[in-house]
Amino acid sequence: MAESEVDLSKTYDAIVVGSGAAGGMAAHVLTSHGLQVLLLEAGKKLPIEKELRSMEWPYDNPNRGGLPPDSHSLTLNEYTVRNPPYSAGFEKYKHLYNYVGNTDYVKNIVVDERDHPTTGTNYAWVRARCLGGKTNIWGRLALRLSDYDFKAKSHDGYGEDWPISYSDIAPYYDKVDLYLGITGVRENLPNLPDSLFQRPSKLNCAELQLKQGIRKMGRTVTQYRAGVTTDGLKHNKYRSRCFSRGACERKGGCDIHAAFDSPTGLIYPAMDTGNLTLRTNAVVREVLVDSQTGKASGVHFLDSETMKDYTARAKVVIVAASTLESARLLLLSKSRLHPNGLANSSGHVGHNFCEHIMGPRVFGQMKEMVGKPPTLDDGKPGGYYLTRFRNLTERHPKFIRGYGFEGGSGSRMFPEGTDAKGFGASFKEEIRKNQGSYISMGAFGEVLARYENYVDLDPQVKDKWGMPVLRFHYRFGENEKHMAEDMLQTAQEMFEASSFKILESSGKILTEGWSIHEMGTARMGNDPKTSVLNQFQQSHDVKNLFVVDGAGFVSASCHNPTWTIMALCWRSCDYLADQLGKGNL
Amino acid sequence: MAKNEPPDFRQDRRSWLKTSATVLGSALLPLPAVSAETASLSPDTRPTGAESASPFFTPAEHSLIEELSETIIPADSHSGGAKAAKVADYVEQVVGASVDEQRKALWKEGLRLIDAMSQHRTGKSFVDSSPEERIAVLTILSDNEDLTDLPEIRFFHALKHLTVRGYYTSKIGIHDELEYKGNKVLMEFVGCDEPAKESS
Repeated sequence: MAESEVDLSKTYDAIVVGSGAAGGMAAHVLTSHGLQVLLLEAGKKLPIEKELRSMEWPYDNPNRGGLPPDSHSLTLNEYTVRNPPYSAGFEKYKHLYNYVGNTDYVKNIVVDERDHPTTGTNYAWVRARCLGGKTNIWGRLALRLSDYDFKAKSHDGYGEDWPISYSDIAPYYDKVDLYLGITGVRENLPNLPDSLFQRPSKLNCAELQLKQGIRKMGRTVTQYRAGVTTDGLKHNKYRSRCFSRGACERKGGCDIHAAFDSPTGLIYPAMDTGNLTLRTNAVVREVLVDSQTGKASGVHFLDSETMKDYTARAKVVIVAASTLESARLLLLSKSRLHPNGLANSSGHVGHNFCEHIMGPRVFGQMKEMVGKPPTLDDGKPGGYYLTRFRNLTERHPKFIRGYGFEGGSGSRMFPEGTDAKGFGASFKEEIRKNQGSYISMGAFGEVLARYENYVDLDPQVKDKWGMPVLRFHYRFGENEKHMAEDMLQTAQEMFEASSFKILESSGKILTEGWSIHEMGTARMGNDPKTSVLNQFQQSHDVKNLFVVDGAGFVSASCHNPTWTIMALCWRSCDYLADQLGKGNL
Repeated sequence: MAKNEPPDFRQDRRSWLKTSATVLGSALLPLPAVSAETASLSPDTRPTGAESASPFFTPAEHSLIEELSETIIPADSHSGGAKAAKVADYVEQVVGASVDEQRKALWKEGLRLIDAMSQHRTGKSFVDSSPEERIAVLTILSDNEDLTDLPEIRFFHALKHLTVRGYYTSKIGIHDELEYKGNKVLMEFVGCDEPAKESS
C-alpha cells in the first residue's frame, strides 16, 4: 500500500487516535466514505511477520521460544503479592513485560512496564503499543451481544440499559462478519446470536463428548467462534485463509493474517483508498479544543522517539486508544471550557469501569483417549465455547448476569501434564500416553459496571513521556465472588456429566485485568448527566468528538468485546460521516 | 502436606551433609540453606576461564546435569532421552545467561548437594552411580518435593522444570517422542467423526 506523508499544515476531516480494532475500523469506515483521515498510533510499526514467525519450531529459536534471559514477564503471583507500579524489584532485568509478553514472539508487541507504570489497586493491564495494538495477539473469540446484554437492566434491574438494541447493531455485526471473516456454527441461541459464518472446523473427540454430555442439562458447547477467515476474503489481498497449521495458541499471533488483525484487515486496505495517512510513534497527550466554540480542533502529540511536540488539526477527533487510554486522554485534555477533562461534564469519564472476571477452571481427562495414537488437535482456529446458561430464564439466588467458558482439548506442541509428580521412565511414558486425552476450560464472567470502580490521573507519577499515569480504584464485588463460586461448581458438574476424570480444578480468581477486556470508562446513554457518549459514541458535550472503543460499553456482558467494538464503531462512523456531510459537526 | 512431611528426610539430610563435608573436604554447610553468596563465591564452583563466553558450568557439572536430566527423562524403546536431546546444553544456555544470581547460585549449590547425597548413600558420585542408585537419590527429593525451604528440593524443581522444557522443545521430544502432527499446512482439520459415547 502507498503510504502518504503526514501534512501537519492541513486540516484533516478526521483524526483517529489509536490503531487497534476500534481505530482501524474507524479508519476503514471513514476513508470508505471518502474522508481524509489521519491515523495516529503511539507505538511503532513492527515488522510483524518477523515478530510472530508462526511456524518456527522451538528448537530453531535461541531461547526455545521463551524470553531472552535479560527479560522477564510478570507472573500471576507477582501481580498478586506486589502492588503497582509493578516495576519495583525487577531492576536486574533489561525489560519487564506484562504477563502476556512471556514469549519471544510477543515481547516486542507489548509495552515495557517500566515505561508505563500505574498506581492504585492491583491491575494486570496488558498494553500493546504498536500498529494494530492488541489485535496482533488477541484470542480471536468473536461473539455477538444480545438484548440479554443491551437490555440487562430491564431484565434484572441493575445498572443501565444500553441506548441501542440488538436490532440497531445487527446489520453492523453482519458487515463486520463479511468484511473480516468469522468461523463458527449456527446454534440459534437467543443470548448468543449467530454470525454469518465461514467454514467451521470440527470439534475433536473430547469436545464432542462434552457437548453431548451437557446437552441434557440444556447447555451448549459450540465451536470456538473465531475472528479467522477460513474461506478467505476476496476483497483483501493482505490476508490468507486459515490453513489449519496448528500451534496458534503458542504464539498468539498469525503471520499469514487468517486471524483478524487491524493492520491487514482494516488499515492497509484503508490506505489503498488514498484517503488515509498514518503516523506512528505519535503519543497523543491532549485533544485540543477551540476556545470560542468549545469543539475539538485537533490533537497535540509527542514523537515517542525524538520527544518533539506536534499539533495536528481536524474537523472531527475520534478517540480509539483503548478503554483505559481513551479515558486517560480525555482526563488529560483539561481546558478552561472543560475543567474536569474533555467530554466529562457528567463526571463519569473513567467510571463504570468493568471487564470480565477469570479464574475458575477445570482440567480433566477423557480416559478413552489415553494411549491412542497421536492426532492433530490444534490445527484449528480455536477449541470450543460453552455458552452462558445462568440468569436467562431462571434467576440464580446469589448473583445476576452470567458467564461462559472457553476451552480446548487434545494434543499440542508442548504437552500438558508435565507438572505431574515424579520422574523417570514412567513419568515420560505417562506424558506420552496422556497427551491427547486432556480437556480443560476456564470461565469468563460479567463484572458489573459500578460508578465506584474507576480510574483517574495520578497526581505525581508520570510515564516515560512525562504524562500522568492512571491510578486504579477497582475491585471485584460480591456479585463476582458469588459468580466465581458457581463457575467452579458448574464446571465440575459438567465435566462429571461428560464422564471426564477431573484432574485439577480451581476457584481462584485471577488478578483484576487478566481478561484484557476493559470496558465502560466513557459509557453511552441517553442522559448527559449520567453518561459520556450518546448511542453513536458521540460526546454529549463536544459534538465533533467520538470515542469508539470499549470505553462506550454500558455493561460488560460475558461475551468477548472485540467484535462488538468493531460493529459499534462502524455504526458510529457511518453516522459521523453522514453528520459531517450535513454540516452538523 | 507440611504436617505429613517425613521427619527421616531432615534427619537423614543432617547426617549426609556432615558426611559430605568430610568426603568433599569442604567447610561444613550451614543449615538449613546455603546463602547465595557462599555458593557463588566458593572457588570450586566458580566457572573456569575468564572470558565471558566460557561456560557457566564446569565440564564435571555439565556431565552431572546430563545424567540428572537423563534420569528424569530417560531414553526408552520409544525415543531418545534428555541426554540425546542435549538438555544439558539448554540448561547451560538458560542458566548461564541468567541475570538472576540466586538462580545461578541454586544450580551450583544444588549440583553439589546432589553429589553429596550420592556420596553419602553409596560412596560414589552421582555420575559414577548405577541407574538404580541415581533413581534412588532423585526419589528422595521427589518424595519430599513440598519441602521447598530446602535448597536441594528447590533445585530438584528447577532441574525438572528445565529438563521438561528443554526436552519437549527439542527435535527428539517433539517429533520422536510425542510424534506431534501440527505446525504444517493442512487442507482441513480432521476432528472427530466418531460419534462419541452418549453419557447416560
